[in-house]
Amino acid sequence: METRELFWSLDGARILLFYVVGTAAIAIFLYGCWRHYAKYRRGASLTVEFDLWQGVKTMLVSVFTHRTVRKRDLIAGYAHAGIFFGFLIAFIGTSIIFIDYDIFKPIFGFSFWKGNFYLWFSLFLDLGHLALTAGLLVMILRRATWSLPKLNYMRSYRGETELRPKARAWQVEDWVFLLTLLVLEITGFLLEGVRLLSEPVDWAIWSPIGLAVAKFLSVLGVSPETATVIRSYNWWFHGILALAFTAAIPWYKAKHIIAVLGSLALRDPKALRRLPNVPEESDTDDEGSDKIGYADISDFTWKDMLNLDACTKCGRCHDVCPARTTGYPLSPRDLVLDLRTHNDETQGCASETIDLVGDVLDADTIWSCRSCGACQDICPVGVEHPAMIVQMRRHLVDQGEMDPNLKSTLDTIADVGNSMGEPARKRSAWTNELEFKVKDIREEKADILWFVGDYASFDPRNQKVSQAVARLLKAGGIDFALLHEGERTAGNDVRRVGEEGLFESLVEHNLAEMAASNPFARIITTDPHSYNTIKNEYPEFGDVAPINHYTELLADMLRDGQLKVKKPLNKRVTFHDPCHLGRINDGYEAPRAILEAIGCEVVEMPRNRSNSFCCGAGGGRIWIPDEPGAEKPSENRMHEAAELPDIEYFITCCPKDLTMFEDARKTSGHEKDLSVKDLAELVAEAIELDEISLVDLPPLAERLTDAVAERIADVISARLETALTNNLASLAVVQPALPPVTVPPSEPDTPATDAVSTLKAVAADPTSQAPSEVVAEKTQVVESAAPIAIQPEVALQPMDWDNLAPLAPAQLLDYDVPEKDGLRILVAIKHVAVLGDEHEFTADGCDIQAEFLEHELNEWDDAALEEALQLVEKAGSGEVVAVCIGPESADASLRKVLAKGASRAVRLWNDGLISADPLMIARGIAGVATKEQPDFILTGVQSSDHAHGATGAALSRILDLPHAAVVVALNWTQDGAIEVVRELEGGVRHSLSLPVPALLSIQTGGNTPRYATMRMIKKAKKLPIEVLDAESMLEGGGGYSVRRMYTPEQENAQMLDGSPQDIASFVANIIREKRGT
Amino acid sequence: MSGILIIAEHINGALRDITGELAGAASSLKDKLGGPVSVAVLGAGDAELTGTANFLGVDEVINVNVGSEHFDAATYEEAAFAIGEKLRPQVILIGHTVGGMAYAPALAARLGSGFASDVLALDVIDGELVTTRGAYGNKVNLETAFPGKGVVVMTLRGATFEVPEGKGTAQITTQDIDYSTLDRKSTHVEYNIPPQAGVDLSKAEFILSVGRGVQDEENLPRFNELADKLGAVFGCSRPIVDAGWLPKSHQVGQSGKVASNCSIYLALGISGAVHHQFGMKHVDTIIAINTDTEAPIFNVATYGASIDLFEFADALEQILD
Repeated sequence: METRELFWSLDGARILLFYVVGTAAIAIFLYGCWRHYAKYRRGASLTVEFDLWQGVKTMLVSVFTHRTVRKRDLIAGYAHAGIFFGFLIAFIGTSIIFIDYDIFKPIFGFSFWKGNFYLWFSLFLDLGHLALTAGLLVMILRRATWSLPKLNYMRSYRGETELRPKARAWQVEDWVFLLTLLVLEITGFLLEGVRLLSEPVDWAIWSPIGLAVAKFLSVLGVSPETATVIRSYNWWFHGILALAFTAAIPWYKAKHIIAVLGSLALRDPKALRRLPNVPEESDTDDEGSDKIGYADISDFTWKDMLNLDACTKCGRCHDVCPARTTGYPLSPRDLVLDLRTHNDETQGCASETIDLVGDVLDADTIWSCRSCGACQDICPVGVEHPAMIVQMRRHLVDQGEMDPNLKSTLDTIADVGNSMGEPARKRSAWTNELEFKVKDIREEKADILWFVGDYASFDPRNQKVSQAVARLLKAGGIDFALLHEGERTAGNDVRRVGEEGLFESLVEHNLAEMAASNPFARIITTDPHSYNTIKNEYPEFGDVAPINHYTELLADMLRDGQLKVKKPLNKRVTFHDPCHLGRINDGYEAPRAILEAIGCEVVEMPRNRSNSFCCGAGGGRIWIPDEPGAEKPSENRMHEAAELPDIEYFITCCPKDLTMFEDARKTSGHEKDLSVKDLAELVAEAIELDEISLVDLPPLAERLTDAVAERIADVISARLETALTNNLASLAVVQPALPPVTVPPSEPDTPATDAVSTLKAVAADPTSQAPSEVVAEKTQVVESAAPIAIQPEVALQPMDWDNLAPLAPAQLLDYDVPEKDGLRILVAIKHVAVLGDEHEFTADGCDIQAEFLEHELNEWDDAALEEALQLVEKAGSGEVVAVCIGPESADASLRKVLAKGASRAVRLWNDGLISADPLMIARGIAGVATKEQPDFILTGVQSSDHAHGATGAALSRILDLPHAAVVVALNWTQDGAIEVVRELEGGVRHSLSLPVPALLSIQTGGNTPRYATMRMIKKAKKLPIEVLDAESMLEGGGGYSVRRMYTPEQENAQMLDGSPQDIASFVANIIREKRGT
Repeated sequence: MSGILIIAEHINGALRDITGELAGAASSLKDKLGGPVSVAVLGAGDAELTGTANFLGVDEVINVNVGSEHFDAATYEEAAFAIGEKLRPQVILIGHTVGGMAYAPALAARLGSGFASDVLALDVIDGELVTTRGAYGNKVNLETAFPGKGVVVMTLRGATFEVPEGKGTAQITTQDIDYSTLDRKSTHVEYNIPPQAGVDLSKAEFILSVGRGVQDEENLPRFNELADKLGAVFGCSRPIVDAGWLPKSHQVGQSGKVASNCSIYLALGISGAVHHQFGMKHVDTIIAINTDTEAPIFNVATYGASIDLFEFADALEQILD
């Protein structure tokens, strides 16, 4: 009967010994598994929903097809398949034997492991082990001789020149794993061989490898007797080693066998497309529960921890990471391994002594990430590195620990809704160049809403692309509209930087704008980042229409004939897959379809599609300055492109790519080799867009009306000019800013035959467009009029040397002032105005119209606040109270101030204060100070809008406090005088000491104001702002009254025209002349 | 009440330029307002120092011994008030400087007088004193008046008014005032002059200066090299120093260095805020490159171009190579 005897030649005692060892091995194995489980339980729970059943199915497919291991590394893929399937077969084989011998036989009294079943079993097992052995040999060869960078644990990006002890231990672990298995295989085949040699059987051919070994041994001259001896020693050696191997599985690299199954099953299909939300704060507990992001290893979810354990140190993520490749201090592999090491040490508990950021990982590692997803895309075991990095960033942002440039960019986005600091009003200024008007979705409906994005709106190079796209859409008859100024940055990168609160407020804003607009069927965008977040993340916050990337639309338009290719370009080009469109959202085909349609031969980049190499702008890196001298990912990509033979264009379809590559083309020295173009520009060329007229022709009746109205307008303006020059005095009641003489809006139904009615229409409608020549005339007329004396808003208190009128604090109504508990510091806050490059004056000529002003927290007051907060922190107890003279809109700055750490705010206002001078302001603040009785008052040196630099000093006099101005440093030891350093002209510093209480005006540059995240600002909404009516400030007057505000005649520089070369040449000549060289 | 009182500003035994400029402003106002013009030098009674305040147009110079040669805000406020009470001027002129800002507003608050700061022009229109200052980041001008105020205190912008040429023939009188019991006083500790490191902008004839337009710290070396190639000294505006990208010694401006010997100033990516202009607007030939056509630097520059400064630098480098 075909079978074999187990426990050959062993007596009962030895068999028992074997079972004892075996049981012990399994116990150790199970204990090891349990330890990991216990560790995971200490991890946080998942916040993202997952479908376990779907996950398991996906995992089984991945494991059985080995697609994740085979991806971009066929040799390792097939070798590992050999190892995996061989091991699986071996495991099944042993299990079958166990079931037969230890369960069936004792319970049912018979064995099935015999006969034909046994024969086929033997064959499969032998072949399985052969595959295993072959796989191992390939892996050993690969690891030993190929010097693969991804298997090198040296952190050269950290300047390491030799391996750390931990890394050496990893190498040992890798080799122990491989070699132990190999020894097991060899001794296994040896066992077969000596068995068949000492006990030959007819069916030996069913164990072909074993038979071959037996033949080989007999050729070597091993006798059956010797074979028996070998057999007995080898049996125990192989058995113990196998059991030891089993016991050890959960304790080292071999644990991936189990961990990977879980890690792959829990893979988030939307990883990085859709980042996890921050869990809702509980309302009851203000303090502890407001955790955001990962501060400690125990904040990692159990799935994250499983990911960490599943890592096999294959190094593929290390290989593909654009940061690591160009020398930035981030290797995803090393990040995961360092986290794992730490997690193993703490077993899932937060550590008191070791800081996650600082000791385990460096902050610059976390900030180097581009959120490109290359690491998680290539990881064979399903590790999701990018989300872990974003979670750690969330915590850092919450603590205000980030690059100052990043801080100020986030502040800018919060203030004006774009990262460039451009006024929101100018968001669609790029459309002014177009021959046609672009619809405003807030005013009329359209088929498609085009969400433009920051770079496509404001960056000059990208504006050209936006214009091209607009023209293409128009030429193709697409009905589209924009949100114009209603749009703010979509927030994809804000989220990836970790400022979750700001992201949420951007989403809310954009969704609200879309909801309030007229209907549209879908959204398109040229920006893959906006595309990603609107498609995948916005739906979690509200309803949003489906969105496509413009390449999909253009591909359709070309295919359907809406755009006709007249002139195929016949160029050899290469194409760069943008991370957020390609790898992250699987969008590879549309751009290629377009290129084919317009007659371009696409020569693929060596790293293309899911392996595309990030331009380096993502993850907020475009807002963070780079180290000087380091290679940038975009430069690396340019070198790669330059290697391709005879390429004319490097094509992009992402605004950030275009920006980065236009730059990198020069800095990498390939300016002459490569031209960078956006797809839209090529399509425009191919369809000969220039030849197509896109002007909106108004109907004939409108054109007639316009022509008649223009004539009338000319006549009227001439007459007005005469009237004005002759009759200035009679215009005392007329507002100096006359409504423009206008062309009435085109009304196709009303023929303008009656000049009088036209004039009435003109007079009644101040909002229509004015033809430019007429406006210019009008402006001239106004400026030649003398400034009209304005009645001061507030009568100043008369005085002279006989009747001095020292200023007193404003008398304010009482409000609840809490008991002092420690230090109390008052900080004066101003919500300052920022004027852009256009302005118009108000009707009374004393101020600028509000629509031309943006607002922000005064930079100097921010510095003063920071000083105050630090004083209170050093003292250990106390509060900072903000005082502000401003209208309700100033609350925006007060919220920021409260978010940064002030406990309360008091705001005074009365509409009469609109032109208040610093002395009046000081009286108001003094009024609050008399109620608050602070220990210190800190003000900024001046406000960035009007820079009087007087409020602080005046305030000190009104309150009779010692005072120092332009303070850059202070030191107070809680008792007695305060030491202060003021900065004089020329950088000279003056140290002095002042008695306390005192008033200090703080200069910028002496400290770095802390950052208030949007979440802190939202939380601060609970903090009180006491609003007081400030009518009493108006009595008692101030220091001046406003006569007028005007644009001064500027002596302007002689502006030079021409190309940079022309201008540089001119300048060089001037320099030569002046220096006599 | 009549006359103009000037409170002099000095440090380390020498008058600061602003004092002369105040005297110049006062003498032009004297014709319309009426004199006399008095200058008060508050210090430790240094006669030599006081003598230098005798500018053409000044009618009286008062050497006020307040017991210390060092500036103290409270002392200056009290002393100015005391002198003012004696002389009863219509206008009190103080420099818009770190020192002036510390007490001029306090003096105004104490008197209940009119007050304007950082004044760049003054005039008398229809018998009224009218001052002009900047507003909204100096993009527009604000004209203010002081109806009903018999006394006006104002601080004048530096490097704006002409210093009178020639010595005056004023009487010098002396006053001693004891302020030792003044309880709001500060206690002087010391001055710290920043170490001279490498560059001396105040002596440089040709300066190439960069501002926020340079965007990244990593871009600085190439501009430094360009400056070297041109034979210029490398300077910058305040934001560059505040960010820690260059040491303070490279800063041109009010709290940095005044380019006093400079004849060519090449400003790249600098907007030209007032305090920067303070350090360079007097330079003969100023060439400004800035993509913002509204940048205030163009108001003081001789030549300007609104092109990208990197493209300009590229082109200039090519010419030099």
